[in-house]
Amino acid sequence: MNDRQLLTRDLLVLFGLTGWGLSLPYLGSEFMVSMGLTCLMYVALSSSWGLFCGSTRYLSLATSAFFGIGAYTCAMQLEQLGWVATIALGAAVAAGVAIVMGAAVLHLRGTYFAVLTFGMTELIRHAVTYYEKSVTGTVGRVLAVVPERDTIYLTVLLLAVLTVGLSMWVRRTRLGLALMGIGADEQRAQTLGVNTRWVKLAGFAMTAAVAGAVGAAMSVRWTYIDPHTVFNPFIGFQTVLIALIGGAMTLWGPLIAAIVFSLLAETLRLQAPQVYMMSLGLLLILCVLYLPGGLASLRWDTWKLWRDDTRAWWKEKKREWTGEKAREKKRSREQRLV
Amino acid sequence: MSDVATPVLLEAREVTVRFGGLVAVDSVSTAFRAGELVGIIGPNGAGKTTFFNAISGVTEPTSGRLLAAGRDLTGAGPHRFAGRGLARTFQTPRVFTDLSVQANIEFGLKFAGRRRRKWIFWGDEVGVPWALRDAAGILRLVGLSEQAALRAGDVTPSQQRLLEIGMALSTRPRVLLLDEVAAGLTEAEVVAMARLIRRLRDELDLTVVWIEHAVKILLRHVERVIVLHQGRKIADGPPREVVRDPQVIEAYLGDEMSEDETVETPDASPTGGRA
Amino acid sequence: MTLGAWLELIGSGLITGGVYALVALGMNLQYGLMRILNIAHGEFLMVGAYLTWMAHTSLGLNPLLMIPVAFAVLGVAGMAIHFLCFRRLVSTSPNLDIFEARGLMVAFGLMFLVQNMVSWIWGGDLRGYDFMTDPVQVGGAPVAGNKLVVFVLALLFSLGLLALLRATLLGKGVRALMQSPVGAQLVGIDTKRLHPFMFGIGLGLSGVAGCLLSMAYTISPSMGEPYTVTALIVITLGGFGSMGGALLGGLLLGVVEAIGMHYTNPSLKALLSYIVFISVLLLRPEGLFTRKTRKA
Repeated sequence: MNDRQLLTRDLLVLFGLTGWGLSLPYLGSEFMVSMGLTCLMYVALSSSWGLFCGSTRYLSLATSAFFGIGAYTCAMQLEQLGWVATIALGAAVAAGVAIVMGAAVLHLRGTYFAVLTFGMTELIRHAVTYYEKSVTGTVGRVLAVVPERDTIYLTVLLLAVLTVGLSMWVRRTRLGLALMGIGADEQRAQTLGVNTRWVKLAGFAMTAAVAGAVGAAMSVRWTYIDPHTVFNPFIGFQTVLIALIGGAMTLWGPLIAAIVFSLLAETLRLQAPQVYMMSLGLLLILCVLYLPGGLASLRWDTWKLWRDDTRAWWKEKKREWTGEKAREKKRSREQRLV
Repeated sequence: MSDVATPVLLEAREVTVRFGGLVAVDSVSTAFRAGELVGIIGPNGAGKTTFFNAISGVTEPTSGRLLAAGRDLTGAGPHRFAGRGLARTFQTPRVFTDLSVQANIEFGLKFAGRRRRKWIFWGDEVGVPWALRDAAGILRLVGLSEQAALRAGDVTPSQQRLLEIGMALSTRPRVLLLDEVAAGLTEAEVVAMARLIRRLRDELDLTVVWIEHAVKILLRHVERVIVLHQGRKIADGPPREVVRDPQVIEAYLGDEMSEDETVETPDASPTGGRA
Repeated sequence: MTLGAWLELIGSGLITGGVYALVALGMNLQYGLMRILNIAHGEFLMVGAYLTWMAHTSLGLNPLLMIPVAFAVLGVAGMAIHFLCFRRLVSTSPNLDIFEARGLMVAFGLMFLVQNMVSWIWGGDLRGYDFMTDPVQVGGAPVAGNKLVVFVLALLFSLGLLALLRATLLGKGVRALMQSPVGAQLVGIDTKRLHPFMFGIGLGLSGVAGCLLSMAYTISPSMGEPYTVTALIVITLGGFGSMGGALLGGLLLGVVEAIGMHYTNPSLKALLSYIVFISVLLLRPEGLFTRKTRKA
């Protein structure tokens, strides 16, 4: 498919998503709207995570930190600033924190970076807890004046659509190319003129801004927030898992995975929530081992490849078991010694 | 031969690179002028690639200064060096394996290779040699036009070598650093490579600095040779003189150089140095 | 505070520190040798605790008997897990960075899988049992018998591992591999057998730690995570790959935590430990106790 066809396809799916999202409050039940809300939240989170972390291969575990920052910004400023401004502020504060964090941490790679982002998330969580306890004297915060359910829903839908749109757009710009270059071979990209420091900071800030905005929007849904819920590392973990299983480097992988897993989560939540988590974990392991590109990289020939691999493995095992392998070895050794 | 008035494009002053207790590059000073074709040789472990890493910004020198076109770039990152017209290849080709050959070239064109256009948004780019005007042109120059649509990871190693050079050229450099580009090539390929390098210098007016382990081919084409040994510069001059330098001979322990009493150098061959 | 009170505080810190050290040693072994950062390590500690609890409450077995059992069960499980999950990564990852990242992700998945499996089987409530709760007099201060046992055994196992690494041929092989993988293989050390074996030992140690913990504390499916995080901090302080550093770091962290808990509230203590953790990672990534090595 050439570029124009790709663009048309992407735009069509985006419109489809928007249409489906818009229809849900009017056609679906309360339960479905709630599920849709969670789904859209993870669409936004995992798409923005994939945009930066998928391309550059810097695995960030800091999503929960930015989410919580957005939530707290909202809790503290909603009454003064109003809905739209608060969301924007949540995004801005999160982006600011990301720039500070990134400046300290983005020159490290791989496990160091992942562990550090996790550590910083926990650090922020404990800092906020301590501050609330000692300075403000509260455990959590109550959001008294909240917008209507429909407003919240539409906002999150808008954020999800904007994030996917942003993802589509960035991938076609120099920034997207630079991000991909950093993931492919960072030093090589530098020698070709990419200012990796700035590019990484920009990408990281983008991810953070989305997470902050989403956090701000979702906080009003819960009406009561405390550090334990909004800085819950599980939010970050689930985002990462969804993005990876879906295919972090692709545009639609995280989206599809978010939808599938939200469905799975809601259906299993009441009977066996642990089974949902277990399947997430198992799927992640299977993906990393056999399908590193995620579900989005599944092609018809992937099945063929697996089938051929399994056949070859079975053949080899049979050779071993019937002793044929040992006989061959002996024969070749004798030939060599002669 | 090079003129005193020719501008110095890249200068290293007492550059030293230390890794813990190991001194890889020991106080090397040299300058590269516009249009020069310089070779750097030395036995294994002489510090050639480390020196390259230092002068391209990949490794920060422990001490010393680096100036590119007069601007002090000591300690700057590789992208600043690329921005100042310095391009390099890597010993083992580092291409973006998942992109097409053409996309690999276009990458550099979009970053360090970008130039202002005559009328801001359209028109030809200002100050770009005709041969380097677009990816197709660069591919034609290095001889990879037919492989343009292939995945970079799928082409042969010698083609990847050429792609490396193409990628370096895509940044529209003034100075081109080539790291052992002739290693592992067949006889015919080596000759073609040498010819390409001469063309790059002659037609594009580039300064080319060429590290090579296969000394003979290099000595035949360059007009100046720098010899590194254990991190220090032990010789710097025309190939003819360097070949007879006793220190150099000792460093190679009678290896490649003195075995061949009549090594071809530009002055001796009929075609001479720069035509 | 009186001397006796100080000693009691330090003592309790050492006890928790001993467990930290044991867990950290196992994790360190896996990372230093195989570059697998097993963040599911704490979950296997939890499994060890649950196995012991189940054995004690259902079968009436003495938990002390379960120590070798826990070690064996988790050791075998470790070898199986290495074979199933991590071995393939070695052949399919193009470079070390990607291998580490993928290993981390697999460990992630394992964390989810194991924690929720236990929660599903045994439910999420806190569980526990009483064992040797009578206090024993140590230097004038009363220490719960079970906690003393925990400390002594944790220390014994840690020192045992260190001795194994220093004195035996196997241990020397492991240390050689940690320093120079290629060189060790060239002299004939079989990585294909050694890696799963040492991975199993690492998990076995965490199983023992869990078994010990179950004697003195309550257990729950989420008990593993804090230990993983603490083990990470310990390894960072002690230096990735340094065994002695992990032991010292564990004990030190235990004592510092105990003192911190006494004087401030838990969130400040957590905050401070994370600040220390991040600072060390940023400023001195090779750890506080290792000598700065020359970059080869």
